[in-house]
Amino acid sequence: MASASRKFINNDLGLVVTFCLAALLMTFLSYGLPRFLPGDFVTATYGASQVTLTAEQESALRAYYGQGRGFGHYLSRVARFDWGYSYVFETPVSALFFSALPWTILLMGSAHVISMAIGFVAGVEAAWRRNSPFEKAMVGGMTVLEGIPEICTGVILLFVFALQLQWFPAAGAETAYAEKDFLAHVADVGHHLALPLCTLILAYFPGNFLLTRNSMIMVIMADYIKTARAKGLPALRIRYVHAARNALLPVVTRFGMRLAFMITGALVVEKINAYPGVGTLLYNAIAARDLPVIQAVVLMSSLIILTIFFALEFVYRFIDPRIHHAR
Amino acid sequence: MPNRFLRFLFYGMLILCGFLIFPSGISAQNSSADIRIADSKGDWGYPNPYKHYPRGPGYLRMAWVFDTLVWKDQNGYTPALARAWRYDPDSLSFIFELQEGVLWHDGKPFTAEDVVFTIEYFKKHPYPWVSLDKVAGAEARGPYEVSIKLKEPYAPFMAYIGGTMPIIPQHIWKKVDDPKRVQAPDAFIGSGPFKFVDFDNAKGTYLYEANDDYYMGKPAVNRLIYIKAKNPLMTLLSGKADLVNIKPDMAGHLKKKGMVVLESPRGWNKKLMINHRKPPLNDKRFRKALAYAIDQQEIIDKAHRGFGSSASFGLLSADHPFYNPDTPGYPHNPERAEKILGLLGYQKNQAGFFEKNGVPLKMEVLVSNITVAGESMADRDGEVLKKQLQNIGIAVDLVNLEQATADAKVRNWAFDLAITGHGGLLGDATILNRMISPKFAGSVNSARYGANRELRDLLDSQRKEMDVRKRKAMVYKIQAIYADELPAISLYYPASMAAYNPNKGIAWYYTKGGIALGIPIAQNKMSLIRR
Repeated sequence: MASASRKFINNDLGLVVTFCLAALLMTFLSYGLPRFLPGDFVTATYGASQVTLTAEQESALRAYYGQGRGFGHYLSRVARFDWGYSYVFETPVSALFFSALPWTILLMGSAHVISMAIGFVAGVEAAWRRNSPFEKAMVGGMTVLEGIPEICTGVILLFVFALQLQWFPAAGAETAYAEKDFLAHVADVGHHLALPLCTLILAYFPGNFLLTRNSMIMVIMADYIKTARAKGLPALRIRYVHAARNALLPVVTRFGMRLAFMITGALVVEKINAYPGVGTLLYNAIAARDLPVIQAVVLMSSLIILTIFFALEFVYRFIDPRIHHAR
Repeated sequence: MPNRFLRFLFYGMLILCGFLIFPSGISAQNSSADIRIADSKGDWGYPNPYKHYPRGPGYLRMAWVFDTLVWKDQNGYTPALARAWRYDPDSLSFIFELQEGVLWHDGKPFTAEDVVFTIEYFKKHPYPWVSLDKVAGAEARGPYEVSIKLKEPYAPFMAYIGGTMPIIPQHIWKKVDDPKRVQAPDAFIGSGPFKFVDFDNAKGTYLYEANDDYYMGKPAVNRLIYIKAKNPLMTLLSGKADLVNIKPDMAGHLKKKGMVVLESPRGWNKKLMINHRKPPLNDKRFRKALAYAIDQQEIIDKAHRGFGSSASFGLLSADHPFYNPDTPGYPHNPERAEKILGLLGYQKNQAGFFEKNGVPLKMEVLVSNITVAGESMADRDGEVLKKQLQNIGIAVDLVNLEQATADAKVRNWAFDLAITGHGGLLGDATILNRMISPKFAGSVNSARYGANRELRDLLDSQRKEMDVRKRKAMVYKIQAIYADELPAISLYYPASMAAYNPNKGIAWYYTKGGIALGIPIAQNKMSLIRR
């Protein structure tokens, strides 16, 4: 018992302290970095607007929007989950963030889960059929696909399926204010989701496939797989129960890291598909120099990254007991 | 177990694919009782005076809910909350006779006290669209008559106050101390033809419902919806929107498909901002050399496929009633430009570029995407301009920046030349003050030029001249001096178009003089009023 406590203090407590210090640093960076953006809200909003400000009007607005009271005040507000008010919308930043977050989770979450599932299965199957035409074609194809940036895939999909064929809507997450029943509404959301989702799946799937395949190739050469084969176990069981579980670790790491960049990672795809997620919120906030919104999104995305990395530590122990015992 | 897993995965993917593709046939189309308007940005702020984004599309979204004393349609000023008005020069007052029987959206009656309150409230909590510096005060002369007294004659009153100032309900706003932060539904109660229902800032969509008790009659549609859409052509043809701003090259195709295409009068200009505070740009002769070096038509042809027209060097276009046709011009003449530079002591080096005392003549030109009528415009103006300046021997460093960064540099005079643009050229001639006078320091589009005393005096005087004929003569002179001084160079007026589906039974139009301050967008609320 005493030994377990000492182990916790030495290892886990150290991890928690490191996590807290990193969170504090992230909070400071989220406070400080957006302030280095050239220009400010008043110039970005009124500088080229229909309204032409006199010097007095301009300084009054600058005084109103420049009421920041230092990092200590910011930190205390963050601790109280008070993210302030958006300059553009004059509404609480939290309301803006949480109205955009579900769309990002729907898009990015679906893309990650689907690309991981099919990437994993395809990777396992390709590794098992090493040197077959299927494996060679998949590896070649996926290597090419991995090199194509999502902005390129996204624009091509939009051009073909939205502009030319008109099968899918080019923008948005649902038909605005359409008077529909629940099922039709769900279908409408799915229809709008299709293009950005496919763009992301095409971006993430090749990486998952290649990683699983490589990892799996190493595993299936191990002695215990030979033993399993010698025992006459079904091939499917050897692939997925014996081999794939041990090939899972790098895939989970990649999944976690990708998930951690969920908020900012969606920026490009959300922008080209006019999808109303956190990426779009951040993009618009930067364009308008809406400092409270930029700070909140940067802070939340960095804390999510930190939390996921922290959680991954424990997930590893669950997936691979060797990590736990090694500590 | 693995078999089950694979089967599950397979069927799962199958269902998902079906789910994503199937709805293409049942995607919602417009209801005939709705009007949908699309633009590419979507969010323009909440539609009340203190929360809308300070650009034309933001004002328009607010104007559906809040009426002004007067409004404009395709013929000019038209009654709104005021059914008649007159100016009394002896008392320096505008007197408005108000409509009777007008109700706020919450059913309370509108009276002259609301107008008086609005002016007092906007003086205490400024609404940037309306400057009340020249207003001494307002007085209710009965329940339906109000007098607004000026401190001095103010010619743009009708355009900048009477036709722009939204009237807000006293019974709601008298309780509000910080109007920017108010979020209660009450803050969206107006007297306009539509009631505000919803704004989704994440999706950039707005929903309004018809105000059945509107004093000019029930609007022609039950719901007005704004949506965000990246491709106006597809959005209009697929029926997802009924009115969109379009690029000029889409016009022919849309006309063939039965859509009505509208072309805006020239109320927006692309211009070259000049840092006239630093040498050699502080020398008017050098600025004239630049003007001669620029071929306006080539920019229109190469960067805009010929859609647009050369700008007057006096800023106002021929579509403005005060346009001076005798404004000095600078027809493209590279030889003359080079000659001027030679007279200023510049000599060409072996590479063909000018230099003076061994220092090469080099200019940095800032370019960025600019928002026109709510749509972000990318173009090749900078590249064409660079070539034109280099042709006469001025080396150019073209710097492409994000708009807010470019605006900040121009605002702080940290630039040589910058390509920017602005609208408002269809409205009152006070736009000349706003785009020239150093008093308007907050606009990055303003030349902020005070070096010519006569120009400064004329700008001040024309705003006080209530006689239209005399004022017009002053505005003519301002254009002539401005074109001679060239503190900024107007390049061209881009062709700006909108298209709508006529099957909805609504005829949209561009407003004479632009909406309110001169917004060149074809979304006049009177289009939806049956009269």
